[in-house]
Amino acid sequence: MQYLLNGLPIGATYALIALGYSLIYASAGVLNWAQGDMAMLGAYLAYTLNRIVGLGFLPSMLAAMACAALVGTLVERGVLRPLRRRASPSINLIIATLGVAIIARNLALIVWGPDPQLFPSPVGSRTVSIGSLNLLPQDLLIVGVAIFLMLLLQYFLRFTREGKALRAVAQDRMAASLMGIVVERSDSVAFATSAALGAAAGILIAPLFFVTFNMGAVIGIKGFVAAVVGGLGNIPGAIAGGFVLGLTEAVAGGKISSGYRDAISFGVLILVLWLRPSGLFSRVNRAKV
Amino acid sequence: MLDRMRGLPWWKIAGLALVLLLPLAVSNRYYLHVLNLVGIYSLVVIGLNLLSGYTGQVSMGQAGFFGVGAYVSALLMMRLNVPFVVAVSAATLVSALCGVVIGIPAMRLSGPYLVMATVGFGEIMRLIMVNWVPVTMGAAGLTGIPLPSFLGMQISSERGFYYLICAVLYLATLEALRLSNSKVGRTFLAIREDDLAAGAMGVPTDRYKVAAFAISAAYAGIAGALYGSFAGVASPDNFTFDVSVLLLCMSVVGGNRTIYGALVGALALTVFSEALRFLQGYRLIVYGAILLATVIFMPQGLSGLAPAVAQVFRRMHFPGHKGQNGVAGDKGETCR
Repeated sequence: MQYLLNGLPIGATYALIALGYSLIYASAGVLNWAQGDMAMLGAYLAYTLNRIVGLGFLPSMLAAMACAALVGTLVERGVLRPLRRRASPSINLIIATLGVAIIARNLALIVWGPDPQLFPSPVGSRTVSIGSLNLLPQDLLIVGVAIFLMLLLQYFLRFTREGKALRAVAQDRMAASLMGIVVERSDSVAFATSAALGAAAGILIAPLFFVTFNMGAVIGIKGFVAAVVGGLGNIPGAIAGGFVLGLTEAVAGGKISSGYRDAISFGVLILVLWLRPSGLFSRVNRAKV
Repeated sequence: MLDRMRGLPWWKIAGLALVLLLPLAVSNRYYLHVLNLVGIYSLVVIGLNLLSGYTGQVSMGQAGFFGVGAYVSALLMMRLNVPFVVAVSAATLVSALCGVVIGIPAMRLSGPYLVMATVGFGEIMRLIMVNWVPVTMGAAGLTGIPLPSFLGMQISSERGFYYLICAVLYLATLEALRLSNSKVGRTFLAIREDDLAAGAMGVPTDRYKVAAFAISAAYAGIAGALYGSFAGVASPDNFTFDVSVLLLCMSVVGGNRTIYGALVGALALTVFSEALRFLQGYRLIVYGAILLATVIFMPQGLSGLAPAVAQVFRRMHFPGHKGQNGVAGDKGETCR
């Protein structure tokens, strides 16, 4: 039971990153390899603003998310659009975002140095006990903020003009552009939103793990696994996938073996891809993945 | 064999001579070492090109097969005293089997799903290397891997390895070229271009996709076995996801639609990586930027420049040709 509780904050983090992947995939049809590095950037920026400049936690987080959104837009304009214009094969798109990830990671290394930074939790680090279960207040914060952001995203997608445009583009790019939606702009919005969500995930998880230039790598891959498990491009699926992955990892890691924990996650992924490629939570509506 | 050589263009003979005589000219052991690594990586990338470039199945898990080759070969030699040639062959076979194992679930996948599955497989392989301590010695890896020895000789110098790697690479490239120009190669292309249509035309796409994985795994396996004896050590850190990424980059930068692209890519990226060492911390940033630039401006990779270069070459040597095709402005180029 404790394992399930441990899995929740991790699951929430994976869910946020998974949302980023799914958003971009749904609207732009691209796999953004640098998604995990947005989390890293967010964490570093928030760290700098909070520890060095002295801003409070909340303003730091918001500012970092805004910066990340900006970076996301830049990536879309500078990298994705030229490739789109040249009708590049999809493998090139993947490599391109990979190049962005490499650059981001090494820039962070230069700016902030190789030493892991400590980001103290804004809600203290005393373990809270409820019955036989232990919790860190940071865990609650993570889950709470994550759920809040997800609700915010749903509101954005359903009730705002940009959000509806995004959904239209995700459904049918050509039809959306025929209806007067500027598709490139939706792509930018998708990238910016994903980056902000990723940054939030990174900031939330920073007090639990150190902030290092490499943290984007693992989180990125796990987040992607979560997105696929839930159905790539499927927004609620991404959330569900994140939690499923987080909980599975926590339980499997605890009960079976912690060394093979990542292998179990990948095993789950391959199983899902083999048996139900459109994701656990998607309506099966495609002949081939 | 000599009569076949009589028909070869001068530059092929010169190239061959260059390759064979190179180690005698290069006295710096470090450069030779780097070249040897390039050779080994090229082997893997040839397989990757066959899989990703020809058949269109993007794979970011080749490091897994690479590692399997290294570990199997090393363990056979060290634990069971199996001779080098047998160990390498066995490693290649085991690796190919792994290729089949991942190929079967992967044959239904495409796009980012396929990428993820291959990443997952590569990571699973690496985690097995780390966790199966009694066999693989865990994170510490294997040390003291025996040097290649066959026909009574043992290879222990950089030069020796150079010739061994060249020989293997030559045979591997020949085989890859033969494969790519055969019915198998054309089937791969058909699958890449439109596998639904290929299936409708009666091509057993599933079987060929699995075969492509097996072949690419075999190439990675033999490269891994060579690597094990070359480096003397094999640890899970040598076969991480980053290595898979590097291999894929070599494939794309060199041009993943040709076999030679593998060699070009491996050479280019390794040279860049070494040449940029003076930039220290900024090195990888420039590396990433080069990657981006290549992908945006040269989607066919460096070997995609080859037709353009050949074009210039042809115009220089045969200026009369333009009129022969009868159409003004016809460059005399047919479809790639």
